[in-house]
Amino acid sequence: MQRAIEEAGIPTVIIAALPPVVRQSGSPRVSAPLVPMGANAGEPNNVDMQKAITKETLQLLETIETPGRIVSLPYEYIAVV
Amino acid sequence: MSVVKGLQSEIFVPITPPVVWTPVTKPLSEMTVALATAAGVHLKSDKRFNFAGDTSFRVITGDIPSDELMVSHGGYDNGDVNKDINCMFPIDRMRELADEGIIKALAPVNFGFMGGGGDVRYFTEETGPEIAKQLVEHNVDAVLLTAG
Repeated sequence: MQRAIEEAGIPTVIIAALPPVVRQSGSPRVSAPLVPMGANAGEPNNVDMQKAITKETLQLLETIETPGRIVSLPYEYIAVV
Repeated sequence: MSVVKGLQSEIFVPITPPVVWTPVTKPLSEMTVALATAAGVHLKSDKRFNFAGDTSFRVITGDIPSDELMVSHGGYDNGDVNKDINCMFPIDRMRELADEGIIKALAPVNFGFMGGGGDVRYFTEETGPEIAKQLVEHNVDAVLLTAG
């Protein structure tokens, strides 16, 4: 999906819970907070964490200059199962 | 040392395709940004995704309140996203960032589909390009994806 959108001329960035999988698919810009598969943007109802992850991921559009970069974000949420 | 031409592993290995890269040409604060997610997000009034594999997608317009959204996806624990859709589809956070001037606006069209298997060829050749086409038609400047 990310590839198709980039091919259409729109830059993209993805939040990845599984960075190695995203790397395998050739994503151009990736943020990697420490999150589970079910909560990429952070803990449910934690507005501050979600906003920080969303904002800092969007800012990678401006700062990543190398295709395929994966940038770790300093946020962690471990789901209670 | 002997060299055998055309020798090939019998084990299938994943192939990483070359990265597709569109350069960013304007500041984030001037961008209309769409959300697109493979997390199976859609309107509560929409048809649910088929858990066995589904290549269709749902449009989520920019004015939809987050409490009208839900998830149908058989490939991950839906517990958190059922409590708060924003943890996979941060639509309220995007609106707040637009209000603060970090981005120009949330896009008029956003997309939910169900990743995690299904007909990958169809996704690559049909679903992806169709979503991309609609994003272009609505003059979207950038896309934030989740479910990677």
